[in-house]
Amino acid sequence: MGRDVSHETYSEVCRFYYKEARLFSEQDYRQWLDAMVDKSIVYFLPIFEERYRRDRKAEPEFPPFIYNDDFSDLDQRIQQLETDLARRIDPAGRIRHLITNIEAFEGEAEGEISTYSNFLICRNRREREQTILVGGREDRLIKGPDGLRIAYRMITIPQRVILDSDLYYMM
Amino acid sequence: MGIDLSDLVDTGGSSQKKRIHVDEELYKLELERIFARSWLFLTHESQIPNPGDYFSTYMGEDAVIVARGSDGEIRAFINSCTHRGAKVCSAEAGNTRAFVCPYHGWTFGTDGALRGVPVDKAGWGADLDKSKLGLTPVAKVESYAGFVFGCFDKDAVSLKEYLGDLTWYMDSFTARGGVELLGPPVKSVIHCNWKVPSENFLDGYHVGWTHRPALSVLGGPMSQIAGNVDLPPDGGVIASTKYGHGVGVIYDAAPGLHRAPDYYMWLMQNRPQVETLLGEPQARLYGSHIASTIFPNCSFLHGTNIWKVWMPRGPREIEVWTWTMVEKDMPADLKRKIQKEAMRGFATAGTFESDDADNFQSVTEAARGTVTRRGALNATLAQQYDTRSDVLPGLVSEFIISEAGVRGFYSAYKDTLEAEDWADIKRRRADRG
Ligand code: FES
Ligand SMILES: [Fe+2]
Repeated sequence: MGRDVSHETYSEVCRFYYKEARLFSEQDYRQWLDAMVDKSIVYFLPIFEERYRRDRKAEPEFPPFIYNDDFSDLDQRIQQLETDLARRIDPAGRIRHLITNIEAFEGEAEGEISTYSNFLICRNRREREQTILVGGREDRLIKGPDGLRIAYRMITIPQRVILDSDLYYMM
Repeated sequence: MGIDLSDLVDTGGSSQKKRIHVDEELYKLELERIFARSWLFLTHESQIPNPGDYFSTYMGEDAVIVARGSDGEIRAFINSCTHRGAKVCSAEAGNTRAFVCPYHGWTFGTDGALRGVPVDKAGWGADLDKSKLGLTPVAKVESYAGFVFGCFDKDAVSLKEYLGDLTWYMDSFTARGGVELLGPPVKSVIHCNWKVPSENFLDGYHVGWTHRPALSVLGGPMSQIAGNVDLPPDGGVIASTKYGHGVGVIYDAAPGLHRAPDYYMWLMQNRPQVETLLGEPQARLYGSHIASTIFPNCSFLHGTNIWKVWMPRGPREIEVWTWTMVEKDMPADLKRKIQKEAMRGFATAGTFESDDADNFQSVTEAARGTVTRRGALNATLAQQYDTRSDVLPGLVSEFIISEAGVRGFYSAYKDTLEAEDWADIKRRRADRG
């Protein structure tokens, strides 16, 4: 782990995440992708196994995931929402993103920042269906000419059985 | 018992009362008569290759452990201690020599036998007969193409006979180099009745409408189905089999939902081998998209590489478990690419699955209404095309946008619920063979 970033950089990171949370709450994924995501992004949400601590079976060779998207995958997901054909999101659901526990460190390469953050997402849709999802993110941000961008994001959700019928939203 | 099955489902399976998706009493009957008597998917042999490997799963609502013993044999047991009933295994998978109960420490071998108990002779004297206290075995465990199934009813037909005509369709992609599942499964909760997704995987009708958003950004040959602008270009077939399994084939559309040209190349390259092995009709299936439900609650997609179980959790809830299915001899990087496409479409954030899940919940939610549930569900689409074919086994419809598979599912559903025992199930399904 690198050194803590400067106060100035830390507040830039916080501003970045608060803006991201606002765009997510507005479900404006297009602007998020355009303004905040680097073309090299890997957006990853792996799943884990509930095993005994001292288990001796080999780790799975091809562990599955809920997200393993690159930039064009994310773009196509967002396009799918933009078709205006998805009845699942019409009428639109409501979603609110909270971001907390933000830590930021100097990354391995010049201009890179490694961060940890936690989120709480409250999604409400279809009259009264509500789910609250708590999770964590490990990001690699890169500093470009127009500000910070996400180059890598690994999301962890501490649920083995996802208690929601879909996670088709950004987090 | 306030259930009149003849009122709930018509004989041909073309009409059901909406009540079937919400009724508590009916759900209990389903657990007893369907889940405790049918062959249910457990795991794939590739997931537990070595002695001592095990996988924890459910048959209906019964927790079971599937384990490969030190003799290499695969067995399954109820995951509940024969002492005071605790689960003897809380891990979802692993490798072990024994299952040690967390409550008082009874120890069971990977063959289910009770090996040791703390205190033992000091407490019981010579009276504790360990040979009678093994974990309760699942009566039958058999495999087809590496897919391991279990059945609680010792009088059931063999797995091969149960799968029946479906094996002809499955062989098209399993017989050449074999298949395997990439685990562990992704698991999530959907607030729906288990039958809704089971029948959905036999429903070619919803694809163009429900999946219009996904199909329209996908591009490729399948995108013309979006909005039902066109029927699948090369047609297809729907078949239903004796014990309620169904299969929907879209011809020549195998990698249809994947953005994976190398998968298409793989299928083209291996098709001649399938043809030599099985003949032209099955070789064509190998290059086609196949959607199927194995009665009662297991579904798969060849071409989209998905294997699923819809685990019942009460009348209005399921857990869905999802694996990627690949051919064993594919190179590792092709397996990875296919897994990415399969998870993208049909895991918990799936570009297809998300839209399906919303419908599953909608159907179930609406049926809660007292008057609503007296109403009927309609599955009569393209009934006039239901026929037999010289080539294709099962009861078939060569018109792909047909509810023939749904009808087959519910006709078996009704017979299985009504039948007294397996002999009766066989009798009732005889003319379906
Ligand atoms: S309940 Fe398992 S040892 Fe007592
Ligand atoms: Fe679907």
